[in-house]
Amino acid sequence: MIPLNTKPKGPVPSPFSAAQQATFDAGFTKAVAKYPPERSRAALLPALHLAQDLLGWLPEAAMAYVGSRLDIPPARVREVATFYTMYKLKPQGRHHIEVCNSVSCWAMGSEDLIKHCESKLGIHKGEITADGHFSLGEAACLAGCGYAPAVLINNYRYAEHMTAEKMDKLIEELKSAPGNKMADFPENKDTGRAH
Amino acid sequence: MAERIKILSKDWDKPNSWSLETYLASGGYQSLPKALKMQPQAIVDEVVKSNLRGRGGAGFPTGMKWNFVRKETMTPKYLVINADEGEPATFKDRAILEWSPHMFIEGLIIGCFALDCHLTYVYCRGEFRDGPIARCQQAIDEARAKGYIGKNILGSGFDLDIHVVSGAGAYICGEETALLESLEGRKGYPRLKPPFPANAGGGLWKSPTAVNNVETLANMPAIIEKGGEWFSSVGCAKNGGTRLFAVSGHVKKPGVYEAPMGITFLDLLNDYCGGMREGSTLKAIIPGGSSAAVMTAEEAVWASDFDTLKAKKTMAGSGGVVYLDQNTNMAHALANVMRFYAHESCGQCTPCREGTGWLSKLLDKIVSGKGEKQDIDNVHQISRQMEQKTICALADGAAMPAKSFIEKFRADFDALVKG
Repeated sequence: MIPLNTKPKGPVPSPFSAAQQATFDAGFTKAVAKYPPERSRAALLPALHLAQDLLGWLPEAAMAYVGSRLDIPPARVREVATFYTMYKLKPQGRHHIEVCNSVSCWAMGSEDLIKHCESKLGIHKGEITADGHFSLGEAACLAGCGYAPAVLINNYRYAEHMTAEKMDKLIEELKSAPGNKMADFPENKDTGRAH
Repeated sequence: MAERIKILSKDWDKPNSWSLETYLASGGYQSLPKALKMQPQAIVDEVVKSNLRGRGGAGFPTGMKWNFVRKETMTPKYLVINADEGEPATFKDRAILEWSPHMFIEGLIIGCFALDCHLTYVYCRGEFRDGPIARCQQAIDEARAKGYIGKNILGSGFDLDIHVVSGAGAYICGEETALLESLEGRKGYPRLKPPFPANAGGGLWKSPTAVNNVETLANMPAIIEKGGEWFSSVGCAKNGGTRLFAVSGHVKKPGVYEAPMGITFLDLLNDYCGGMREGSTLKAIIPGGSSAAVMTAEEAVWASDFDTLKAKKTMAGSGGVVYLDQNTNMAHALANVMRFYAHESCGQCTPCREGTGWLSKLLDKIVSGKGEKQDIDNVHQISRQMEQKTICALADGAAMPAKSFIEKFRADFDALVKG
């Protein structure tokens, strides 16, 4: 267990493989360079994005490590990681599908689209398929209101003007795509922590 | 119909409208050298004359905000761009970043010069990474290669760095002080004001900071080229220029349309969006993002400028307009809207954290058919008690739809409850 409320005394072990480490370090250097030298802690959000892009989600080991690189105690990192919905605190499906259900998408049938996804994938919102390939959620307004309903795949890819048929096609396409591998950490088995 | 004036969307029909080549061919980056030869205060004076009002939602006069920052003696000063676009029904800054990023970047450079700001951040919502952010970053790289960004811009002696940073999914970070907290690397809790961001102690790293919307800055090249008076003459009284209306809902042609400030909602619907779609008749209008009080079909004749709508107890807000048809049950619509606010309340202030949760639970109860008349009255009562009691305006933004949906469409609620 990593103590959350104090800065760790020794070096914090990296959660990355050697290849991941090189990618992280390059991105981290670029992110920190955007801020004045005495303001490097501002790079916490981009550094967490980098870690998640490499690991598929944000295990506590990654939060502690990112914090140590920026001289931020683990509790402060956790406070940020739990505040923002794009950070995933437990493993997702290798393809995480979020259907926007804010007012414009709702008016154009997003609830039917969510039900369609649930029956097509055989899971409810917030669940992962047994093979770990898909997970499903709802998104807050994606700024795709004029192209409703809008869908977000793996945090960054937009699919708009969605219909049941287009959703089926998208799911078929994603079935043969590898998606994000979820790094294995002890919390993978810990189902008690919700996000 | 009079000829449509296009300022922001003039290049959108052109191939590769986002490229430097297209922007230069349509006269882009000609206001920048002109502005760099002006006195910074003269630029701000021109913006004051233009009657440009902030396009993020509050409609604050941009020139006045800039004068607040200029009056401060503390340095450095910052200009921070709010590109967090998260208000439900709003998708127009995304259009600028994707289709005319250079117009925005040119405006941003001019704004920074006017405020003596040498380091600026464009704070974009994280989901925009592969679309709008990529386009904006490409535009910045192109502008830097041309010498429009960097050291000694066009030989003027003015230095500027522009960085794009991304959020991570939080509606509250569209509130300017929450945005600054997030930009500094923390959770997005709005700050108690005063001090305001424009004042020493209130902005980015406590420096005087102007936080402006993407669309606001994209107007700068036109204001410098044609003058503040011309810009002001395009709109209506005290509301200069055009506005990008992001239209969604049951209309024939949803999308982003540029129209003069003050156009009526009926003209916007019929002249720009092709009217309601087949089989639909207009029932309700959300005029400026989901935080705005709802309007009835009869009220579609209202003008869309900031002052008219404020007088009518709603708001022009973010320019996100939703037209809803006769098949929309307004109680169900409000339940949907309230789930959003309950989810997005940051939890800092009790009236908002608890209030949005109570409203959402009551509305879910009503639309599930288990509600009573008293529940409807309770929704109205609770929302009145949430107003003007919190650090930021999120609670007010949840209360405005709650009150107005019930006041204007009570029958939809009554039909769902017992007694």
